[in-house]
Amino acid sequence: MRGIPTVLITVSPEVSAQMRPPRAMSPKGFRIGNSLGRPGMAGLQKRVLWDALGMLTAPARPGEVIEFEYPEYGE
Amino acid sequence: MTLLSRKCVPFTPLDRELAKCSVALVTAAGVHRIDQEPFNIADELGDLTFRGIGGEAAVTDLKVTHHHYDHSDADQDINVVFPIDPLRELAQEGVIGQVAREHVGYMGYTMQLRLMYEQTAPAIAEYIDKKAKADVVVLTGG
Repeated sequence: MRGIPTVLITVSPEVSAQMRPPRAMSPKGFRIGNSLGRPGMAGLQKRVLWDALGMLTAPARPGEVIEFEYPEYGE
Repeated sequence: MTLLSRKCVPFTPLDRELAKCSVALVTAAGVHRIDQEPFNIADELGDLTFRGIGGEAAVTDLKVTHHHYDHSDADQDINVVFPIDPLRELAQEGVIGQVAREHVGYMGYTMQLRLMYEQTAPAIAEYIDKKAKADVVVLTGG
């Protein structure tokens, strides 16, 4: 089977980091069940997905979980 | 002390432009079509099966069956764990080549980790390779 590039969006970065994923991003402060943001926040959801896809072409940091900040998510 | 996997990081480089890639979603958040068999939340060992979700599925055709996270937000808007609408927008805008023809949902809770690793995960990869024919996979949890 061919290899398929992946990128993980995780809201449990400490747990995900244990598996040393090839590419992974974590939106800071998002709670479990809100991987892309809150319901109805289409712009935020799209931005998180955009940032995740951007990791496919960015300089690689395999095995690390990279944190991204989205203040619009709120507390 | 945090324990880290000692396995080699399975890094696959992207060998083409994102704008030419077919992108599939694989979620552990328990997403499936409402006309598919729900995941088995009665079994304390979890559910090792997965569901294929066609790329044309409407968000109203999808639901979550998972008992190990609060999915009330996903019940309102499935895109919070399965971003199919933003993925379609990025395809329309030419950021990605296309939305893959198939996506995958499974329930990322199991006490049978070896079986998940040795059987379910390779079966999902095979599905993505052969059925979805995706170039890239975005993975999400609950």
